[in-house]
Amino acid sequence: MATDRTVSATWNGSLLEGSGTIHSVGSGAFGPLPVSWASRAEEPNGKTSPEELIAAAHAACYSMALSNGLAKAGTPPEQLDTSATVTFQPGEGIVRIALAVRGVVPGLDAAGFAEQAEAAKIGCPVSKALAGVPQITLDAALA
Amino acid sequence: MPRIVRKADVVWEGSIARGEGRLHAVSSGAFTLPYTNASRIADPGGKTSPEELLAAAHAGCFAMSLGSELARAGTPPELIEVRCTITMDEVEGRGHQIVHSEIEAGGRVPDCDDAAFAQAVEAADAGCPVSALIRASATVTITLAH
Repeated sequence: MATDRTVSATWNGSLLEGSGTIHSVGSGAFGPLPVSWASRAEEPNGKTSPEELIAAAHAACYSMALSNGLAKAGTPPEQLDTSATVTFQPGEGIVRIALAVRGVVPGLDAAGFAEQAEAAKIGCPVSKALAGVPQITLDAALA
Repeated sequence: MPRIVRKADVVWEGSIARGEGRLHAVSSGAFTLPYTNASRIADPGGKTSPEELLAAAHAGCFAMSLGSELARAGTPPELIEVRCTITMDEVEGRGHQIVHSEIEAGGRVPDCDDAAFAQAVEAADAGCPVSALIRASATVTITLAH
């Protein structure tokens, strides 16, 4: 079954001097979140950016995929701590995403965790959608 | 221009079916959001999902790119409105995949006619890094609401 999620964004003015908002009209879970070019390209100053939202999407998707893979292998996790760091080069685009995960997984050794962590990196839907990013790295270990 | 780095993290507790994740915007501190498998594939129930966050990234990036193109054309916008809908579907043999991103773009732009707006939208799409990424593995369609 297909799932749709809708978000709206507004923008006023030019790129450098303008500002905008992002609002989750589908779920109502967040927003309006303010955005600006300065907060995207320089210091965030409390404002999110497309790159931070991509980091959030990737970390969220990866965690679910890994939890699912671990459960299917008979070793469900107690807790997964994941981060995604997105590097954006103006003029080039997103050039790198660094995933890092620490897991509390009873009954699983380091090699088993590394295997599941790698499979989630390849298999999660957001990873597949971001396959055009030149470099996606993974640092995975048991906590 | 120097590289820009943004980070988010997640703590996920428990199984997919009954567990829950807590998502935090580390770089900006702009949000902390819960999400679950149910909020991702069924009714959102006020919670976000990876696909909604990707829609937010695409809408936000596209709106900035369009503002930039309109200003470059000498018609800076009073207001741009961009709506993005991301569709995830189960693809035979390949599991769940993000298959489509639909952008609807409109706005209030003094002295900009429909043809010029359409041209700016096309240029915005070409210059939006999130459009380029999604196009590598899914379709992107753009509708004008100008």
